[in-house]
Amino acid sequence: MAEQPGRFPDPHEFEVPSELEGWEEMYPTHHLFSEDRAEWEKAQFWYQDKIHAPEPMPPLDLIFQEAWQISLSQYTTRVFCIPPAQGIAQRMMGCYMYICAIAPPPEEIIGEKAGHFEKRVFYVFEHYDELWDKWLTKFKALGEEMAAVKVPAELPKFVPDDEVLPAPTGVYDSYYLLESFDKLVNQMFKGWQYHFEMLNLTYLAYLMFADVSRKLFPGISESAIGKMVAGAYVSMFRPEEELCRLSKLAASAKEVSAILKSDKSVDDKVAELQNTDAGKNWLAEYEKAKDPWFYVSCGSGWFHYEGSWLTDQSIPYSYIKGYVERLENGETIERSLDVIEKQRDEVVAEYRKLIKTDEDRKAFDDAYNTVRTIYTYAEDHLFWVEHWFHTIWFDKIREFGTLLVNNGMLNEVDDIFMFNRYEIPQLLTEVSTGWALGVDIPMRGNFYKSKAAKRKKILEAAGNWNPTPALGVPPEEVAEPFTIMLWGITTDKVKEWLKGVDATATEDVSEIKGFASSAGIAEGPARVLKRLKDIVALQPGEILVCPSTNPSWAPVFTKIKATVTDIGGLTSHAAIVCREYGVPSVTGTGVSTQVIKTGDIIKVDGDSGVVEIVKRAG
Amino acid sequence: MDYILDFERLDKNSLPIVGGKNASLGEMIKADIRVPPGFAVTTDSYLLFITDAGIKDKIIEIVSNLDPDDVAALNKASAEVQELIKQRTIPEPVTKAIADGYLQLCSKCAVEAIPVAVRSSATAEDLPTASFAGQQDTYLWIQGADQVITHVQGCWASLYTPRAIAYRIKNNFPHEKVLISVGVQKMVNARAAGVMFTINPTDGDISKVVIEGSWGLGETVVSGSVNPDKFVVDKVMLEINERTISTKHIECVYDLEKGEVVDADVDQDMQCTCCLADDEIKALVRAAKNIENHYGRPMDIEWAIDKDISFPDNMFIVQARPETVWSQRKTESVIGGKTGRQLLMDQAMKRIKIP
Repeated sequence: MAEQPGRFPDPHEFEVPSELEGWEEMYPTHHLFSEDRAEWEKAQFWYQDKIHAPEPMPPLDLIFQEAWQISLSQYTTRVFCIPPAQGIAQRMMGCYMYICAIAPPPEEIIGEKAGHFEKRVFYVFEHYDELWDKWLTKFKALGEEMAAVKVPAELPKFVPDDEVLPAPTGVYDSYYLLESFDKLVNQMFKGWQYHFEMLNLTYLAYLMFADVSRKLFPGISESAIGKMVAGAYVSMFRPEEELCRLSKLAASAKEVSAILKSDKSVDDKVAELQNTDAGKNWLAEYEKAKDPWFYVSCGSGWFHYEGSWLTDQSIPYSYIKGYVERLENGETIERSLDVIEKQRDEVVAEYRKLIKTDEDRKAFDDAYNTVRTIYTYAEDHLFWVEHWFHTIWFDKIREFGTLLVNNGMLNEVDDIFMFNRYEIPQLLTEVSTGWALGVDIPMRGNFYKSKAAKRKKILEAAGNWNPTPALGVPPEEVAEPFTIMLWGITTDKVKEWLKGVDATATEDVSEIKGFASSAGIAEGPARVLKRLKDIVALQPGEILVCPSTNPSWAPVFTKIKATVTDIGGLTSHAAIVCREYGVPSVTGTGVSTQVIKTGDIIKVDGDSGVVEIVKRAG
Repeated sequence: MDYILDFERLDKNSLPIVGGKNASLGEMIKADIRVPPGFAVTTDSYLLFITDAGIKDKIIEIVSNLDPDDVAALNKASAEVQELIKQRTIPEPVTKAIADGYLQLCSKCAVEAIPVAVRSSATAEDLPTASFAGQQDTYLWIQGADQVITHVQGCWASLYTPRAIAYRIKNNFPHEKVLISVGVQKMVNARAAGVMFTINPTDGDISKVVIEGSWGLGETVVSGSVNPDKFVVDKVMLEINERTISTKHIECVYDLEKGEVVDADVDQDMQCTCCLADDEIKALVRAAKNIENHYGRPMDIEWAIDKDISFPDNMFIVQARPETVWSQRKTESVIGGKTGRQLLMDQAMKRIKIP
């Protein structure tokens, strides 16, 4: 394929490796590059979304992407009407998701939107606290509603008497099965509509404050801006705080700490704890913390296989073990949130003091108060949506998976994730129909089982393939706030990618650049984790190199020396958490997981955003 | 009348008798800023000298009515005045005071014949509105009381270099009003040295300290004879935002045998090595912030790291003067008194061009 300078491969000519053959059928037609939309698609700039989809996309997990494409875009274009911004479109290519910030609309639309924007947006800023309370109430209600959706593990041989006599319910399991899945899908879409209720505005406010800061202090770093804006008391840090609380409680009772420090399985630990009052008390506290705070994904919350603290309790238990040991060694395990808040206020005060005119100081105060009003939303929504809500979803979907396994439609529970949300109703219809038709009715289990097996192979092959960072033609301008802030798409970034396209040159690269997102310098061996589940391989003292990180890995950040990511802008998850933990980080390098190999000695300069490969492994 | 004054006794009120540079050293000591010890030879010494030697009026006569663009005439007048100053004998009370001061410095530092810097410190120099930087002489690595006295005389003469004369004429500074003091200060045995600014001279960013440094004495950096290492550091976060390591071919060192400062080749493997450790950079930035706070304005600072002393006592501030380029610009509002709402609206309307 002949590459033209200054552009990426044409999505309509791009060829994926032959091992991926058949990948298209896993995804809905809307998500595929298509001839009927070719003219438009060819003219856009599509970059791989390593924030939400760093790995090949299992068909059912695409539902979150489908949901945000609609919701994020709608809030920008139709609800808050950010004047020159349009939505973000998605396409799949070889199991990876590419996204595109659509070019601004015609001038008259921009003008029309400006009027709506003023009226709607400022109301939100003025009433944020009250709106947040309402948001949380309705979001919790939605999650509880989802948790309450009934999915039978087996279909009854005959419907029970009380559903027939004396007052027939009129509808039975064959219907509920289909209805329950539809409910889950609708609830997921609704949750994602809520997700963006204020998020676009927080990003806009952040960009505004960053711009004001840069005008006043031209060389100010992203990490300094982030430090000023970030809050300490945010939901995403609660799971870890709960771990600390439980660890302290354990350390205060010798028999409890002895059990928790042992190498026994979680089940054995729980059984032993139940033998003493102190143990029972501790378990009761654990249960209290669990809902909602341990509804936290072991990864980003975007993939079913990441698991959660809820499904894999060995994770919180192993963190607690480590904390108890550290407490007994006289170490402190908690970061003082008061201290973090105080440090932040001091940083703000010191910059403020440098400002030369009263007028500018007032504008700075105004800008700062504006962003601080709303910014907690960016930090709080993450726990409730991507972690708590998604954990409930995965739990429910696995109930369907169990039902499908029990009815001979699938081999394994998680094989349900090999089918997209439009296909699952077909599987369920098959089960409902078979049950309704009577006994000894043949079903298409083998068809679906072989399909699931084939798809797993394709996804595995896709995981071993290094997809192109982008497709199409880089744009002349970007107005969409998420593109700039979350994905960190800038001119420089696109140029770096254009360089990185030539993958054969990666061995010669000795330095890569990204955002200086958390201050400090560290040198050490790299651990490249292309897949989030590989996190278990991470050793203390290593430098984490990955597509993107997540605050739910919090306890990991006390182990590692530094973090480098491919993707992540000013307030990417990695940037926030690294700053909070004082771990140096460079985010948004674009190519770190391609260029750096596990075992390479690298130097991460979180002050300047440079990662140097000091010595290649082997 | 004080012919010499220890730096520790000086402050900004001493400027008329010790000049800007020396007064500023006194101020720095008062503000806990580490400067190498030393003393000022006051303007009274200079006045007594030119009066006692009977050359006061003669000097003014020679430089009167000069055309600052007539190079030949300037050179001639300068040579005449400098000759006058250098040839005359210094009155005994002055030489005795300088020699005593020098010997005290030797015993204070426990070094025999301690090398010192002998620097001019003119009374009109370094005012925020008149950057005389580098117009008077500086002599480095001077050892022995006699040599110190000779170079003090040299500094006095440097008040009348052709450039200094022309500068004063062009800027309407009366010659007779510009007096000269001299600073005698322990030489830092510099491993690395350079300058720093408490404002980014490139873009006027007030939240940055910009450090330039190279191996050896600071002269290579000040004169621009090497490309220095450059660090841009955030004052608040103490993050090193930019770090440029240059190839530093030569360093300015004191040659013991020759008894003079020479440019020496830097070892190949040291040329591209960073001349400062991160801890030293941060210590310099803290010192720079302290200095800026003390003076209440952006400053231009010379610093050195002494190779005989270990961190953190190895850092010395050699000089500090007000920054003159950005400070003279009119302080204008950058944001333009906008409210949070207006700023948010501006942001919402923005498109980012990707060229």
